[in-house]
Amino acid sequence: MTDKSIESNSVWLERALFNFRPLWFVIFAALTAFLAWHASQVRPEASFTKMIPTQHEFIQNYFKHQEDLASLGNVVRIAVETTEGDIFTAEFQKTLQEITDEVFFIPGVNRSGLKSIWTPNVRWSEVTEEGFVGGPVIPDNWDASERSLEQLRTNVLRSGEVGNLVANNFKSALILVPLNEVNPDTGEALDYQQFSQQLEERIRDKYQSDSVKVHITGFAKVIGDLIEGAYQVGLFFVIAIVITLLMLFWYSRCWRSAFAVLSCSIIAVVWQLGIIELIGSGINPYSMLVPFLVFAIGVSHGVQIINAISNNRVDGHDKFAASRLAFRSLYIAGLTALVSDAIGFTTLMVIDIEVIQELAIAASIGVAVVVLTNLGLLPILMSYTGVSAKGVAYTGEARGEQHPVLAFFGRFSQPKWAYSAIIVALIGLTWGLVYSQQMKIGDLDAGAPELRPDSRYNLDNKFIVDNYSSSTDIFVVMAETAPSQCIAYDNLEVMDRFSWHMENTPGVQDVKSVVYVAKMGSYGLNEGNLKWFSLNRNQYVLNANTNRTPPGLINPDCSMAPIIIYLNDHKAETLQTVVASVNAFNQQYQQEGLELLMAAGNSGIEAATNSVIEGAQTKMLLWVYGVVIVLCLITFRSIRTVTCIILPLMLTTVMSQGLMAVLGIGVKVATLPVIALGVGIGVDYGIYIYTKIREGLAQGMHLNDSYKYALENTGKAVGFTGLTLAIGVATWIFSPIKFQADMGILLTFMFLWNMLGAMILIPAFARFFARFGKQIH
Amino acid sequence: MIKATACAGALVVAALHGAPALANSDTITDYEVIYAPAMKAAKAPRTVLTEITQTSSSTIAVGDYGVVLYRDNASSDWQQADVPTSVLFTSVDFIDDQHGWTAGHHGVIAGTTDGGKTWQLQLDGFQFIDLQIAHFQQLVDELTAKQEQFDGSDPDAEDDILYALDNALFLLDTATFAKEDGPTKPFLDIRALSKDVILAVGAYGTLIRSVDGGESWQILDERVENPDGFHLNALASDGEFVYIAGESGQIFRSADQGDSWELMDSPYNGSFFGLHIDASERLWVVGLRGNIFVSSDQGDSFTQIKLDDAVNINAIVDAPNGGVYLVGNAGVIGWVDANGNIEQMTHSSGAALTDLVAHGDGRLTLVGQRGVLEIADFATEAAAQAQE
Repeated sequence: MTDKSIESNSVWLERALFNFRPLWFVIFAALTAFLAWHASQVRPEASFTKMIPTQHEFIQNYFKHQEDLASLGNVVRIAVETTEGDIFTAEFQKTLQEITDEVFFIPGVNRSGLKSIWTPNVRWSEVTEEGFVGGPVIPDNWDASERSLEQLRTNVLRSGEVGNLVANNFKSALILVPLNEVNPDTGEALDYQQFSQQLEERIRDKYQSDSVKVHITGFAKVIGDLIEGAYQVGLFFVIAIVITLLMLFWYSRCWRSAFAVLSCSIIAVVWQLGIIELIGSGINPYSMLVPFLVFAIGVSHGVQIINAISNNRVDGHDKFAASRLAFRSLYIAGLTALVSDAIGFTTLMVIDIEVIQELAIAASIGVAVVVLTNLGLLPILMSYTGVSAKGVAYTGEARGEQHPVLAFFGRFSQPKWAYSAIIVALIGLTWGLVYSQQMKIGDLDAGAPELRPDSRYNLDNKFIVDNYSSSTDIFVVMAETAPSQCIAYDNLEVMDRFSWHMENTPGVQDVKSVVYVAKMGSYGLNEGNLKWFSLNRNQYVLNANTNRTPPGLINPDCSMAPIIIYLNDHKAETLQTVVASVNAFNQQYQQEGLELLMAAGNSGIEAATNSVIEGAQTKMLLWVYGVVIVLCLITFRSIRTVTCIILPLMLTTVMSQGLMAVLGIGVKVATLPVIALGVGIGVDYGIYIYTKIREGLAQGMHLNDSYKYALENTGKAVGFTGLTLAIGVATWIFSPIKFQADMGILLTFMFLWNMLGAMILIPAFARFFARFGKQIH
Repeated sequence: MIKATACAGALVVAALHGAPALANSDTITDYEVIYAPAMKAAKAPRTVLTEITQTSSSTIAVGDYGVVLYRDNASSDWQQADVPTSVLFTSVDFIDDQHGWTAGHHGVIAGTTDGGKTWQLQLDGFQFIDLQIAHFQQLVDELTAKQEQFDGSDPDAEDDILYALDNALFLLDTATFAKEDGPTKPFLDIRALSKDVILAVGAYGTLIRSVDGGESWQILDERVENPDGFHLNALASDGEFVYIAGESGQIFRSADQGDSWELMDSPYNGSFFGLHIDASERLWVVGLRGNIFVSSDQGDSFTQIKLDDAVNINAIVDAPNGGVYLVGNAGVIGWVDANGNIEQMTHSSGAALTDLVAHGDGRLTLVGQRGVLEIADFATEAAAQAQE
């Protein structure tokens, strides 16, 4: 064939691309340089508000009072443990004092709120005939002598801090470090990562020894660990690249093609990162998945291109014509597949959680970029470099003989194999349906669910939960009143009833609020006589009793008082029970001027997130399948064809839900998008395979032969695609971040299973439908 | 006297399964703790409990949120009684294994006739205020009538009457103000002298008595010489006298079931929280900062026993093996033998302990800040702590 004949059958797009190759080259190079510079500005970030459903009623209520609740939530706890004896030794107290001083000077610490037995705001008190007496827990004349230590022990017992600042077993002491979200001097937001790093360097690394152990927990530490973990993901990317390169070579036996595909895919990632940086979106631990996906999608489409080029070369075309014909034969299927990916991803926008939306945007951008780099740039690149002679020879050899793996898949268009496959699929479907019933919403593990149960953070957290009396799962109900009415007797009395009601709700450990302060105040001001542990109708008495309310338990104008509910855990059932219990109370007790609003605290926010996710789960599935079905209908214009393509995807979806139940992975912010991603990308296989089956049928072949034809042309590439995608995400299974690992497991499963589903069930269903007398098309 | 009608709420309290049962499904827009039936609560044994008492058949403890717990003496499981109020009860006393009374905040007194399983309101703070107004008004009227008949023949008596009138006017004013504020005075102790005669004391010099088993109540505040209105914290009685101990070291004694009171010489000027008459008829009085006094002559003179810890001592009971047990704040538990020697331990919770029941086998059932706590054997645990 000559160039002329190639030209005559070309479409405008192809001409635009191939007739101005140098120009495109320059454009691509310039864009890549520009976007690479922007991509280099991208830093991992973990914004709290982006991970929560900001439109949810609970979150709206929380935002309304966020400022007043700040001092309540954002606290880091540092437990200093001695492995020898108890904390009442001169040596340990010296360490504790030094750590307290050191923490005091870390930027971001709210110094006046800092508490440990070494800070002057921690006091003991007792009642005498003359009234209250008291003093700092550390004796005034501290000299680290036996006497001082004995005095310290007495003061600690009198201070009521056992279980709070001193462990129940006296083997560790706690430093409570409230943080300033915004630096009061500079107005700058707190850099969590930097803060977390400072804690590591200045506290843990410096003071941890054989006899002293340091345990640190708190939101700031979780974020710090998350970002640190995120950097490790960079290493996974490198591993994914190396494995993919080797696989590309194994597939093509041509380094040139392998590098070309790899480069174009990496360019796609660079563009994607550059663009999200340009639109100011940034990258979070969730959307960090996108570069992996973009890379894998790029590679899989690239493989189709070099596959076609090699075949064209075998057919005798020169490298330019081979590239051009490859483009021509693939751009429609490629575009359809990529557009369905992109639209599939955008359906995630229906979920009102910003990280998921960012992930959707980033993935859609990434896929759009792949269209340009791997359908546009790659053929141009290959038209210069060409496939190496060795690669062409390999393709030629491979073509003559049928690969045993392909031969195996080829059988599934035969009735016996087809029906067996369908029966197996039905069994799988049943399994999936049964187990998916047990699928749980939300996070199922204790501690910080973002991190692995055996991560240092979660071990630290377990230490603190085990040795101190406070739970880390906190659900906050905001008692809202008119200004200055938050401690009005009538309101307090209802809040007290509410506290008792909540305390007796299963899963609740304890309830604390200004009501408790008022009752404790009455007890204390009446000479420590517990018979006065009650609210008093006299407002002056109440005011006196609540005089010592710690900051955070009432807001400055006394229009809101948080009621803090400590939970056993943050399992979805627990949260649901708590929410239902609050609703039941609100239904019955409707005090005018008092509103008990949900919800703040980590568990309150998780309750909101869970409810959004539960609602979004079905909605998202309907959207993603709706979109994919419509796109397939547009492409193939046959309901049966679409059925053949969609049914295997649905099987995978149901089975991955079953898998989630079996592996104890809950439906949560991280796993919700996975199914949409799986379906969006999984449909590619079907589109590629079915396009070729249809071509075969159109040429008058029987179904069997059509499928063999499809396998020969595209089967190898589809198999390869499934593997590359799976490898790209499988590295995530090793992420220190729990939800990334969960995403990795599920996506690997979905990519492999969708691939197998496409190669086995599409011909099987085609056979099944063919049985009813009509050909599929 | 006003007849205190029992306000038995018609609200059905559902048993606690899963989420706490709300008393009923009606909407409550004007919540009143006095009339809110106690919620049946799984954590009732863990809430603040103030007093515990034992009858021949069962043990009964009372505390916050209208919680009354009872258990058969042979059992270890607590049941929660049906109680028509949710106030903090401060005191409980039984005259036999069926008839008992409990008193608490917001002027509430409730009684039982079935051994503590169900309780009826006998007095609430609103009725109590009306009682006070009527009573002090009557007192003022009587004294004013007397004042009008002053003839200067006995200036001392006239002075006394003027003084009493002043006091009565002040009490009337206070009660009238309370009508607006609502009930603020808690009862702090209750004592049944018989099935009919019940006495209760409380904040700001409150002293009331019923002579009909709690059907009706009579104010006796002015019978006690307590011009500063100090809190009256504890009651006790032997065959002959009734005793009151209170704030500022006050001790009173009555030989006529409360009609008249004699102010005793006090060994101490701080507050007393507990009174007890032991098996050998000695009177014990305990209070602030580890102060313990014992009298062998019905309160005429006292000997001090001082605890090492300067914490409040709240209650004192007979030890089955002789001597007395006492409990106090910061988890203090002590045993005082017949010679006045103290053996002491601290409960690991460090919680304020307000009362206890001592069992024959060395077990102690304690109540306080953390609800019911059990000590398996005082002697062994105290010895183990002393070892450390």
